[in-house]
Amino acid sequence: MSTKIPPWEKVLWKNQPYPDNYIPEGALESSLRKNPNFKPYTYWPLVHLSVAITQHLATIFIFLSVFVRLKDRSLDPRVLIFVSLGCFFVGYFVWEVLQYTQSFGGGSKHGTKRNERMKTLKSSILIFLALMSLSPVLRTLSAATSSDSIWALSACLFLLNILLADYGSSSSVAQARPERLTSVLSMNAAISSSVVLASRLSNDLAVFALIQFSVQSFTLFPMLRRRLQVPMQALLTFALSISSLILAVPLSSTITFLFLLVLLAITFLAPAVLVWAQKYKNEIRGPWDVAVPKVN
Amino acid sequence: MEPISIAMIADFFHPDVGGVEGHIYMLSANLIRMGHKVIVITHSRPPDRVGIRWLLPGLKVYYLPFVTIASGATLPNFFTFLPYLRTILIREHVHLIHAHASLSSLGHEGILHSHLMGVRTVFTDHSLFGFEDAASILTNKLLAGTLRNVDAVICVSHTGRENTVLRGELFEQSEDDPPRLVVSSNVYVIPNALVSKRFQPGLLQKSDTITIVVLSRLAYRKGIDLLVATAPRICAAFPNIRFLVGGDGPKLIDLLQMREKYLLQDRIELLGPIKHNDVRSVLIRGSIFMNTSLTESFGIAILEAACAGLYVVSTRVGGVPEILPEDMISFADPNEDDVFRAVSEAISLVSAGKHDPIKAHERVKRFYDWAQVAERTERVYHTVMKSEQRDLWDRITRTMRLGRYAGPIYTIILLVDCLFFLFLEWWMPREDMDFVTHHWNHRRFASATRGL
Repeated sequence: MSTKIPPWEKVLWKNQPYPDNYIPEGALESSLRKNPNFKPYTYWPLVHLSVAITQHLATIFIFLSVFVRLKDRSLDPRVLIFVSLGCFFVGYFVWEVLQYTQSFGGGSKHGTKRNERMKTLKSSILIFLALMSLSPVLRTLSAATSSDSIWALSACLFLLNILLADYGSSSSVAQARPERLTSVLSMNAAISSSVVLASRLSNDLAVFALIQFSVQSFTLFPMLRRRLQVPMQALLTFALSISSLILAVPLSSTITFLFLLVLLAITFLAPAVLVWAQKYKNEIRGPWDVAVPKVN
Repeated sequence: MEPISIAMIADFFHPDVGGVEGHIYMLSANLIRMGHKVIVITHSRPPDRVGIRWLLPGLKVYYLPFVTIASGATLPNFFTFLPYLRTILIREHVHLIHAHASLSSLGHEGILHSHLMGVRTVFTDHSLFGFEDAASILTNKLLAGTLRNVDAVICVSHTGRENTVLRGELFEQSEDDPPRLVVSSNVYVIPNALVSKRFQPGLLQKSDTITIVVLSRLAYRKGIDLLVATAPRICAAFPNIRFLVGGDGPKLIDLLQMREKYLLQDRIELLGPIKHNDVRSVLIRGSIFMNTSLTESFGIAILEAACAGLYVVSTRVGGVPEILPEDMISFADPNEDDVFRAVSEAISLVSAGKHDPIKAHERVKRFYDWAQVAERTERVYHTVMKSEQRDLWDRITRTMRLGRYAGPIYTIILLVDCLFFLFLEWWMPREDMDFVTHHWNHRRFASATRGL
């Protein structure tokens, strides 16, 4: 018998001359990997990504300011209708331009495009008419509910909208993702919120104007927003933020200040916090992790 | 070692079927054979598995009336188990409890309560967990709280030990300078075993076709996607290959679709769910066993296949690389190309006749044996019984070090548990209890059943 003890091996099938609780020096660390696919974030790309949230918040702020003006009758609903119609056409034009420039090599047929346009026109007229005929119903739908409940409900719904909204971007046509459940829920929350708010308005035309505006800003605008390229995004964010602030100034200086604070915090402070917090990242990986199968 | 009285506590036990269930039963049976008294405490399976039952060879099972929430586990509620456990442990004169599986809340509670009765605790962890998702974070904290005051921990593989040590925070600051983190000396590795007699290789039949056997739950974690991707390629490359797939699960549809798409109905046979008794009869129809798991703590199925004389191809995950010597198993990385490569190599090896089933069976028989496992476990029990039990103050200080928020919470639970115990001592005094005096007498059982 040799006196030399064989080195410890990490196997179970062998009966080794070591006690069952033996761990060789450093055996634990050898298989452990810390933060294996760690890609540190840098500040400006994060700011870039947070811009989508800022835009969304600014849209909601604008919507709320418009609602307050409609409610105290300082804004004529007809003006709002014309403004949003104008925005619709501008937006549609931009959409078409983007479609044209981005699908340059796509080679889709002319006929199908025209068909699609006709479809869009038909459905927008349909929605326009449906909203118009439904607005008396929408106005009285939750009229019996007290105002306190309405404010609370709409605040909750907008919160839901903000939390679930799809902030990703799909700049190319090819990657147009299917709508996820959360983003659909988010859109519905925003529309429901504007429906309950509409019950506080005094006439049908105002209700129609508000709902139409909400449909544009919460369903159509995000679609357009996602398609925009980087420099346009920055410009759009700036424009939206400034207009939300300008609209809020005559209402209340506190609210304006609050809006400004939120927008700045989301755009500039939150990315900085995330970059700072990365030093606490401690992800442990080892052979026990579920492997990811690679299938060709 | 002096015979002692042991209580196995786990949510998972017979009549359910699985790795943990089998492990507890086999370990208990072998401990009984060594002269110890063993009981099992688990939750009831209404309508028929309730109350107290006996299993051969003289294993007493307490089925407690707890409601299960998901996959056979009970809700963790920290206190409701104490009245039952106190009565059982005192009646049965239990010296030591052995809790199993980190998702079994009965086991956790058993470890939490036992010190009140002066009963020692051992814990066996059977599975691997990650650290990243919310569920893992919560269960890992629960495990760390429980294992703070356990007397010994047993893991089924070295990889499992690394995992459990990290999850349960089973390391201490050493005294040398600078202080290093040292794994506690009460963490053991004792593998599972198998009953090799039940996995005798079948008779060799001479034929050109080589059958690849896959026996697994058809779920994502078992890597069925890899099987779906590689099986058509293997069938195309080797015209003499047949597949035999046993098991059921959500990925069955994918397999059926693959079979339809590549017109492989005559090459890939799907057997559906297989009872554990029939595993051998399926295994011996093939000569290569293919395992594509994405995570595996021990991989008993691989061992059973190797024991039945099959050559094994497996993904290199978890504890699988530890269980068999390199010449009995081919490893592949979990990607399609490498699995295909490994299976092709295995096919050429088997068709060249370089793998001898009888020899493989003899080797596996020597590697794993339940009697040996029970012996090693008994050594752990012995060490635990010899060691000094922690007093309450020591427990409190150790629990407080668990974390800024978790520490106080667990300390409160510990203290409330002590008060509850004192209340029970007053409410159900020990003097009024019926102590167990009669034990299983195998000779009497044999003579009574002889006439039947």
